[in-house]
Amino acid sequence: MLPEQHDILFSFIAILFAVFGIFVFGNVIQNCREREGLNIKFWGGIFGAFAIGCFLMTVHMFDLVQADQLKFFFSTYILVVLMMLFFWGVFFKSNKIEGQSPPIIRGFFFWCTVSLLLAGYTNWLPQQRSDPPPKEAAIVGDLTMEEFAEMGRVIIFGAKQVAGQKSIGKGQCPLCHTFDPGDNMGRCPNLFGVEERSHKRIKEDRYASSPMAIGELEPASGIVKGSPTDIPEEYRRQHGPDELTGEDYLRESLMCPTCYVVTGFGKDGDTKSPMPVIVKPPISLSRVEVNAVVAYLQSKDTPGEFASVTVPLPQDDAGNTGGAIAEAPDEDEDRPVFVTGNEDIQAMINTLGCPLCHTIPGVEGAMGELGPVLHEKTNAPNRIKDPNYKGKATNTKEYVRESILNPGAYVVFNEAEGESFPDGLMPTTFGEMLSVSALEKVVDFISQTEAPAGS
Amino acid sequence: MLGKIKRSIATFSLGLFLAMAMYIVPGMTSDAIAKEVFAEQVFAEEAFAKEVLAEEAVEGEGEAEIEWGQDVFYKDWEGNPLKGPVSGFPAPELGESDYNNYEFAPSRMLLWVANQQHLYFGSFVLAVPIFCMLIEFIGIRSKEEDPVMSAKYDRLAHDLMKVSLTAYSWTAILGGILLFTFITLFPGFFKYMAGIFRPVMHVYALMFLAESGVLYVYYYGWDKMKEDKFLKWIHVSLSVLLNLIGTVLMYLANSWATFMQAPGGIDADGRFLGNIWHVIHSTLWNPVGVHRILGNIVFGGGIVGAYAAYHYLTAKTEEERAHYDWVCYVAMFIAIFGLIPLPFAGYWLMKEVYAFRQQMGITLMGGIMAWLFIIQAVMIGLLFFGANSYLHNGMSRVKGSHRYMKYCKYMILLLICCFTMWMTPHTIVMTPAELKAMGGAQHPVIGHFGVMSAKNTAVNLMITTTVLCFLLYQKANKKINVPWATVGNCWISAIFVGAACNIIFLGVYGYFLPANVRVGLSVPQVTTTLTTLFAGTAINISMFKDSESYGDIQWGTQSKVGTYAIFLLAISFTWLMGLMGYIRSAVRLFWHVTEVVRDNSVDAYTLTIGEAGKMLTFNTLFVWTQFVVVFWVGSLTGKKVVSKAPEGIPVPAQQQQ
Repeated sequence: MLPEQHDILFSFIAILFAVFGIFVFGNVIQNCREREGLNIKFWGGIFGAFAIGCFLMTVHMFDLVQADQLKFFFSTYILVVLMMLFFWGVFFKSNKIEGQSPPIIRGFFFWCTVSLLLAGYTNWLPQQRSDPPPKEAAIVGDLTMEEFAEMGRVIIFGAKQVAGQKSIGKGQCPLCHTFDPGDNMGRCPNLFGVEERSHKRIKEDRYASSPMAIGELEPASGIVKGSPTDIPEEYRRQHGPDELTGEDYLRESLMCPTCYVVTGFGKDGDTKSPMPVIVKPPISLSRVEVNAVVAYLQSKDTPGEFASVTVPLPQDDAGNTGGAIAEAPDEDEDRPVFVTGNEDIQAMINTLGCPLCHTIPGVEGAMGELGPVLHEKTNAPNRIKDPNYKGKATNTKEYVRESILNPGAYVVFNEAEGESFPDGLMPTTFGEMLSVSALEKVVDFISQTEAPAGS
Repeated sequence: MLGKIKRSIATFSLGLFLAMAMYIVPGMTSDAIAKEVFAEQVFAEEAFAKEVLAEEAVEGEGEAEIEWGQDVFYKDWEGNPLKGPVSGFPAPELGESDYNNYEFAPSRMLLWVANQQHLYFGSFVLAVPIFCMLIEFIGIRSKEEDPVMSAKYDRLAHDLMKVSLTAYSWTAILGGILLFTFITLFPGFFKYMAGIFRPVMHVYALMFLAESGVLYVYYYGWDKMKEDKFLKWIHVSLSVLLNLIGTVLMYLANSWATFMQAPGGIDADGRFLGNIWHVIHSTLWNPVGVHRILGNIVFGGGIVGAYAAYHYLTAKTEEERAHYDWVCYVAMFIAIFGLIPLPFAGYWLMKEVYAFRQQMGITLMGGIMAWLFIIQAVMIGLLFFGANSYLHNGMSRVKGSHRYMKYCKYMILLLICCFTMWMTPHTIVMTPAELKAMGGAQHPVIGHFGVMSAKNTAVNLMITTTVLCFLLYQKANKKINVPWATVGNCWISAIFVGAACNIIFLGVYGYFLPANVRVGLSVPQVTTTLTTLFAGTAINISMFKDSESYGDIQWGTQSKVGTYAIFLLAISFTWLMGLMGYIRSAVRLFWHVTEVVRDNSVDAYTLTIGEAGKMLTFNTLFVWTQFVVVFWVGSLTGKKVVSKAPEGIPVPAQQQQ
């Protein structure tokens, strides 16, 4: 029931009590008429008042909403009914009437008491309401990898965590999987260390042949085992090496659980997985959601460290990014530029081409003039306070990160020219050129840039 | 007299057993057989459909424009999804305009109330003809031997049918209310269901017509067909027909619910694939059907028991008290008889749920529905307490029972221990500080009682204790005279002690096994319990040969506690029936039809346990308010002036009844 609606149970009991009030009144009148010497006006007046009182209180119950109804019922109505029962007892005793209340009334109170005790018991237990999951996780603004992995965690565990109680999100994973070392409920494999295992598993002989060979089509999911290029286009990894990677294994495990069944966790001799295909009903994760889950699985065992995450961030997810595989760029010009974070900062900035447009203190040869001078340690706080600033950063690092990933969030005014720097000139593809670790290193460095002393 | 009652009860038990077997065995075996023959059947169907298409392609202007879809549940003999010609529209993506509501209550609650009330009454009116059939049959069979008892049975069957007749009209009215609630509040979803089940709905309406016709002939022809032997057999045959039609009706209505929970016969887009039998016979259809038949018997027994208990309390004469005391006993006997196999039907249902979708089963047993099963445990504990309390109190009116009454307190102690173990939760909600103080999510000692090993042990011990109580009740007024009495008693003792040891050993052993292996231990535990039931009862009854009686059962002397125990059982049955129905339905979570039609209404959330509990209590109180009205209406036609025989004139025994 919604808070602004009536409580169906206590409204009904109020009606029953009103009927009970009338019944008691009738019973008293009948007893008075059957026996001589009883003051019918006196007793009739008392129980008539009770009957009218019960009726009016029942009407009043319908003027109230749920919480107020309960408050009124337990603070007032129930007391009046108890008083009526007390006076009814006094009536019987004082007039020495035997037989007293008929079995229907005793049965009624027995019925109500047992039923209400049961309802009370259910309200004493921990309460957890489960809302339907959104059809697709909404992406609001730019995300960091930490936030993206958190999104994966919410898909797995849900937004609310209650101590001592298993919480389950849209993915429903904790129904069968455990995630902490040594925790095993026996239904499905423990996922602690799954990132590390994902790289080893694809090289195992058992993976190549059990329960089906690499290259075979798994009919229930429509996935070809061990072939990332045959994954449906909307879920496919579009960058990175051609060979199978750990990320591919994780994605395949979600989209085709029967492609590989961990020993002891399958049906029919470990040839079928009991796990549902995660991109089909009832779970139906979207591409972004699958990637978020993979990001969480790749990073969950190293809190705060996201270097092992290879899936792209959703804001970079325009359909042309993918495995941010940490490998050194080679000399092949056709190969897209990619910075892993293992290089020194000078090399990273040069690879990205920042010096072509920016003057960056501390970077040799960075004397570009097409874009603003990067004195971000001093400039960024001022720009965040600028009324024209429409971004979401609250500190220097966030501002720098935002400027790299979403340059259009704030266009700096060129005081020398008396006009803004040209909008749209700076590339928007840095997200796909930087690994998470590389991005953080660049952000750290740029955040510290300031005008040389004495200039 | 004792011998006659004993024979009647034995015949009655046999009749109940045969009737139950008649219902359950075909359901269970047909399911197993169906799975074997299904592969061939679907192959033949596919082949036939392809032939038809090929012929159409030859006769027509080109290839037949029939689209093939893959069934969401049925598989062909190679394990691939079964293909069928798409014959319907896809399931709608429901929007705001597909839901209507009133301001005073959510539509979902209104539909729940309408549905539950109809189900309660439907359950009652389906159960009563089963009782009447059996009771009337026993009455006919015992007519020559014991005309007094025969007349008593016939009167009981007739009285029950009279109440059922009023309840039948009431059920139809509630069915109409349910239909209108569905159409007006969930028009989009109803349209889809009506599109799929159109022919079934028409057959259902026609079957309802047939049920009504047979019911009226059966009831109104009672007195006319009473005297002639041949006509009486015709009359009892009508009750068989009535039950058959009723069962078909229930199975047809079940198909809608089971389709919503575990659909079949449609593709992933919800399009009908041309075979209505696949839609009806979805995976949960058989177990739900059997479970409901047993549930109806238990619920019906509970209602009749409460009805009789109430009349027992209000009875003015000794005869009346004796009669209603006896009716209470018969009703409780029927209810408990239906209750014993009910968990096994439940196991079968859960097995099929797991087979359909494992995560659905786990959502029930280990996910958001798990707490509701703790409540179910409490309810089952209440049932056992109620049943044992009734037996203990009932035993006290049997002469000779003093020999066994001293054991009652130990049985109650055991029940309390088992009940405590049975309702210990696996984990509870705690603050982080409490969690830390306890050293984990589970208590280091009590936590051991939260797992299935302990719970299976507890419930099996509770059932075994109840069986023992029943055996003692059976032999309470008998002096055993068979020469092997000591051996027999030793055997019974050995069976029960051995069973208890085995159940406890298996329970403890389970702690040392992994969870997936541990589950298998429930089978030998249940088998042990059943052994006590069947072997214990068989030895016990065999020992009654040539037994002497300490005296008849003194009907009409049931204590008030025993009578209120029947009330407790009736409330528990009603509440438990609502609870399990809610669990079965709510496990769909945010789907109208699992994985096919999503519930996009504002009520698509899963209720908190407290909200659900309040609704269950409301439904329980509401339906019993209606039952009181129905029983009152039914009693209006039956109030006869009892003519008292003048003193000093002997009254024949038949008339005294």
